[in-house]
Amino acid sequence: MSLLRPGDLVVVALAALLVGASWAALWGGGGPAEYAELSAPGGAAQRLELLQDATVAIDGRLGDSVVEVRDGRVRFVDSPCIGRHCIHAGWLSRSGQVAACLPNGVVLEVGGGEREFDAVTF
Amino acid sequence: MKTAWLICAALLLAACGQPAEQAETRHRFMAMGTLVDVTVWDAPADQAATAAREVEALFHHLHLEWNPWGEGALGRLNHALAAGEAAQPDADLAALLREAAALNTASGGLFEPAMGGLVRLWGFASEEDQPAAPPPPEQVAALLAGVVPLAELLQADGSLGPADGLQLDLGGFLKGVAVDRGIALLRARGIEHAIVNAGGDLRAIGRRGERPWRIGIRAARSPGEVAAAVEIEGDEAVFTSGDYERWFEYQGRRYHHVLDPRSGYPTEGIVAATVLHADAGRADAAATALMVAGPEHWPAMAAALGVEAAMVFLADGGIELTGAMQPRTWFTDEAHGRKARVRPLP
Repeated sequence: MSLLRPGDLVVVALAALLVGASWAALWGGGGPAEYAELSAPGGAAQRLELLQDATVAIDGRLGDSVVEVRDGRVRFVDSPCIGRHCIHAGWLSRSGQVAACLPNGVVLEVGGGEREFDAVTF
Repeated sequence: MKTAWLICAALLLAACGQPAEQAETRHRFMAMGTLVDVTVWDAPADQAATAAREVEALFHHLHLEWNPWGEGALGRLNHALAAGEAAQPDADLAALLREAAALNTASGGLFEPAMGGLVRLWGFASEEDQPAAPPPPEQVAALLAGVVPLAELLQADGSLGPADGLQLDLGGFLKGVAVDRGIALLRARGIEHAIVNAGGDLRAIGRRGERPWRIGIRAARSPGEVAAAVEIEGDEAVFTSGDYERWFEYQGRRYHHVLDPRSGYPTEGIVAATVLHADAGRADAAATALMVAGPEHWPAMAAALGVEAAMVFLADGGIELTGAMQPRTWFTDEAHGRKARVRPLP
């Protein structure tokens, strides 16, 4: 793999200008999510209104997962898993966003409002 | 006559009153160590639900067959290699290994499935493990020295080894293949508009009614935030590899699960790479290979793997994308858009 040549740099600079001119193509976006659904194996999903701050525990395969609702967002704050991926997922606030504690079988999804994306790649 | 009118009126009302949401059928399950969502649009709900449950069964079957450390086809192959024996994969796995070997060659070895031993040494082989510290450097060096590229390991007759305990981990490829097979199954059941999304790696076919499918791309350093979006119409996979998927901190330094076959250590420079391609297996491998290639060489790697549309998030906060990706990308705010720069493919 060769390094960039001077001609390439010109192309890069021109292309950068083009991108700079086009970043205004911003996503229209949807509204904020309205609620979260919290589910665990063998139980009905709990619905949490995002406008009501709360801390909620749900019993999963390994023990309790805890989620926090604050300022219209929701996140995992504790879970009996080793990897802590669910907690690393951070706050969810856009309709359709999902976080899960797979070892505990607990899934958290926000919904309501206008769903902005059919899926999010990460 | 009155009854006929009532039936007609009822049918019309049923058609007019059909909320848009009812055209969508969603099915979610856990398989292959991740959350899988099957979304079907504009198909009868029972047909869509039945097909989606078949996709779930398929994923569970493939997980058993392709778990590197289990008792399925790949697990048995790894058992044989670990015992210092030659291994003969079944026909399906042999075909997949040939595909993976071709990607191994095309990537100049930066997509390397023969690093299962190193992945395990680092503690990234199982969701149940959480490494506390990096492995001793001498162990990394010893395993790295023993890696034989898959393309060399795989014989013309489909057999492998013996290779002195070498282990295969096709995690950066087989999830894509599973997504491809999930889509093929849906199509075989008459589904034309759908997404199979395996933990943020997906392939979409058709469209969502009057509009294309809308896919958000996660902001690399802001969990829960979306930096950009693309629209998919027709048939395309979107795969992302990121250093935030599995990682640990040790003495203030972050170690993640994407290992560089040249060093045996986590890659540096690119924190996430998103690839669009018709083939999900190739998109899966390419997303990993772009991270390994790093900030300078990722466009050359994309070209080598036949990828035209890709975007990378750099460790310094920059965003770079290919010329084919740029016109398809919407940024969710100006700050992300200002950072974006096009890198031409060689």
